[in-house]
Amino acid sequence: MSRIPFSPITINWTLTFRCNFNCRHCYSRPEKAPELPTEQVKEIMAKVAKYKVPFINYGGGEPLLRSDLFELTEYATGLGFNVSMNTNGFLLTQEKAALAKKSGFKTVGISIDSTRPEVHDDFRNTKGSHKKAVNAAKFLKKQGVRLTISSVICRINHTELEDLVRQARDLGAEQISLHNYKCAGMGFTNKDELDLTPEEWKEFYLSAIALRENATDIRISMDDPITATIHKAPDQAIVKGSTCGKLSLNIRANGDVTPCGFIPVVIGNLLTDDLKDLWDNSNILEKMRNKKPKEKCLTCKHYEDCLGGCTARAYATTGDFNSPDPHCWVAK
Amino acid sequence: MRNIRRNPDIIWREEEEAREEALRAMERGGDASGDGTVLLVVSGMMHQLNLLGGEIWKLLDGIDEERLVDTLAMTFDVDRDTLSRDVRDFLIDLDRRGWLVHE
Repeated sequence: MSRIPFSPITINWTLTFRCNFNCRHCYSRPEKAPELPTEQVKEIMAKVAKYKVPFINYGGGEPLLRSDLFELTEYATGLGFNVSMNTNGFLLTQEKAALAKKSGFKTVGISIDSTRPEVHDDFRNTKGSHKKAVNAAKFLKKQGVRLTISSVICRINHTELEDLVRQARDLGAEQISLHNYKCAGMGFTNKDELDLTPEEWKEFYLSAIALRENATDIRISMDDPITATIHKAPDQAIVKGSTCGKLSLNIRANGDVTPCGFIPVVIGNLLTDDLKDLWDNSNILEKMRNKKPKEKCLTCKHYEDCLGGCTARAYATTGDFNSPDPHCWVAK
Repeated sequence: MRNIRRNPDIIWREEEEAREEALRAMERGGDASGDGTVLLVVSGMMHQLNLLGGEIWKLLDGIDEERLVDTLAMTFDVDRDTLSRDVRDFLIDLDRRGWLVHE
């Protein structure tokens, strides 16, 4: 597609920056912002609904720490949104799973980063968190809520891909989302320890793409524009490169809008600004949608497909949207 | 003749601005088949339909094929046989993808 949709397809919404975990890769742990009360969140939801945004996904911050989570979800569902969330699952009891179903959650994503409990618990800095996450997945399945397993790919798990997929399949997940490591927040602080080398990323994605092509009973999702250098996106791909600011936006706990959760550049606030106005007229979004190749991208034959890779990673490491993705394995 | 509906599991949205542009292009006699006027999300994957596909998609709320062609003929200035054939081919494609429900 050649044109940007008239409004975002997905709003990623950090309802809170609070979290019961202290994960080593967390992009949002250093973030601080006052949290909007229920009525103001609803007010923003109604404004967003006016522009027919089909999807809201809560991330953050642990969404289950908001006592009004299910009330908000019921309200959002009533406005026509398809609501999902990513949670570490620690607080997701049988009762909460029932409330998730009742309030209208279409999908719930549980973070599980390893099949080895001790590795997951260490990464998430919380003992017993693997067991709780597995239980949460089972509770959701019992309630008939669609389940996704999310795994942040990094040094601790990049060689256990097949086991991660098997674990997700055994838990009854419809999808496993293989999130690429982002050097934002704690992810930036710990990148030398946890991030992979460009060659390791290439090896990982080659394996993941091969696995995805043969997986019939589970979807393997890896939303990383850098894969366009080894696997051409289907012709009907809606946009090329990063989808942030082209298909999605991020709302922070205080109503601030950023292009994505990993790019801490505020383009407005939905308590006072109009979503469509920001979407159409933000200079920041315009720059992200019209990146200019730099350095090795200038002569790279893949540029028209990957558009420089992940804009968030480039920005986090160089402060420039146009810099080549630091994960890029294509030689100069 | 059986009525046809969209698969209710598919999330979709009309791209109003793209549709208006495509209609204007068609009125000028230009190519209206480029940009998507309807976006669909199916099992996490996004797809788009061009102007004719999008207009068909919007009408699939319990309609039979003949009535569908009648309705489209009011918008698209093509001969009836061509329109019927295009609609039939499109419905076969949607059906093959599992995007339709037959009543």
